[in-house]
Amino acid sequence: MIAVPRDEYRESLDELRADVESMANDVLGQLLRALDALERDDHELAREVIDGDDRINRRYLDLEGDCIDLIALQQPVASDLRFVAASFKILTDLERIGDLATNLAGYALAGGPELIAEVRLQSIGETAYGQVREAVDAYVDADSEACRAIAARDDELDAACQNASEAVVRDLIAGESDRWDVERLLDDVSRLLLTIRDLERVGDHAVNIAGRTLYMSDGDPELIY
Amino acid sequence: MSQTDTAETTANRTDSQGVSTTAGETVQETRPEWTNYEADGETKLAVDDLDVHYGDDHALKGVSMDIPEESVTALIGPSGCGKSTFLRCLNRMNDRIRAASVDGTVELDGEDIYQDGVDLVELRKRVGMVFQSPNPFPKSIRENVSYGPRKHGDIETGLLAKLTGRAEPDREDALVERSLERAALWEEVSDRLDDNALGLSGGQQQRLCIARCLAVDPEVILMDEPASALDPIATSKIEDLIEDLAQDYTVVVVTHSMQQAARVSDQTAVFLTGGELVEYDDTEKIFENPESQRVEDYISGKFG
Repeated sequence: MIAVPRDEYRESLDELRADVESMANDVLGQLLRALDALERDDHELAREVIDGDDRINRRYLDLEGDCIDLIALQQPVASDLRFVAASFKILTDLERIGDLATNLAGYALAGGPELIAEVRLQSIGETAYGQVREAVDAYVDADSEACRAIAARDDELDAACQNASEAVVRDLIAGESDRWDVERLLDDVSRLLLTIRDLERVGDHAVNIAGRTLYMSDGDPELIY
Repeated sequence: MSQTDTAETTANRTDSQGVSTTAGETVQETRPEWTNYEADGETKLAVDDLDVHYGDDHALKGVSMDIPEESVTALIGPSGCGKSTFLRCLNRMNDRIRAASVDGTVELDGEDIYQDGVDLVELRKRVGMVFQSPNPFPKSIRENVSYGPRKHGDIETGLLAKLTGRAEPDREDALVERSLERAALWEEVSDRLDDNALGLSGGQQQRLCIARCLAVDPEVILMDEPASALDPIATSKIEDLIEDLAQDYTVVVVTHSMQQAARVSDQTAVFLTGGELVEYDDTEKIFENPESQRVEDYISGKFG
């Protein structure tokens, strides 16, 4: 069969999908390492995550450029257009998840969350990580059912984060705080609250990815707005 | 005996219905709901179950679509899909092809243009046409524009009119200026209206043809690939003009450029090989999320 110019175009669409998936795997790796750095108070690992953010950012700009090239040179329409548009937006979500992983690594470096309250960070982290993992898989497989499931499950992560934040504040009010250095306590509390909030945001980005994927696969903007 | 015959006949009928259900797989590819789109606004042209044969060739198969007024409707599809045939049915240009037979109805403001007694000159005045290659007359720019109104007797400019005092040079000038203005050509030619039109560039010639079409005050403008012979700059001028004209006229444009259809039209009809209208919808819908897989493949360039 004779190669037609459109073959090259189809290959570049496949390449884009593979590249977004590979960037997503890199970001998921960052997230896992950041959670582990928090858990084990591993400063070296935390620094590795922070240094890795440059790599993620460069990858993001490269792939964004690939999307723009595809739009400018190939003028994709219909499902191809939805795929490129969705990928373009999903790249931003992945880059932001990378930033949040860097934040988490920063909290680990700053001393990690003191156990001032009964907060199961690793469990929340696992849920957030799982949401992103599944959203990326849904994107790769164009699985619209999975997208809806991910969006529906976000409430669980939100509730877990809400409960955790309340537990921190309740503990603070219950206050055996006189045995703490107040400055230190403020640092710890705000860092812990930020950790919880960042993990919740990771989940939000996973829902964004699912929303764009649903638009990509079904043309359905239901989860976007 | 005769009862058995009847029973057999009935059985045969059932069989043939069964066969047609099997053939329904083809029918599934062109679902009626993909084409029974209703645009916002009043219907200007209502086409119902239009069939066109060129001898044995079935060029259009049962096409029905309503074209809304004061908007741009694009017709796209591969060569030989029937889109130009469809366009030519809208002002009965196919009447000129002896082998062509047209069935179905085309209503302009609710009046069937194929019924007996329709005045074709009047019809084509109301439904004008602009062709693929610019085809100005080898006359002056002024005469090109005023040609239609003079032929229709709306303006008198001949020697007899002059001698009898019926000539209205001011009215002609006003009409020429108005038409050229509307076709976005006036500024470029106002100082050389008596030059031969063939001296204009391709893009200017095409706008002159549009001005000529506008001079007879049409309601619908049909365009058959109006920019395919033009460079990108001239093309973008024509595209701007099409959008502008749609404020006052009903524009139907056949184009091979899908990007052009996407840029200029409000609704898009996709014809595919075999003279079928496969999908008709808002242009955004067609280019972002078409219903038909065949339409998706065609507009994405996935052929064969």
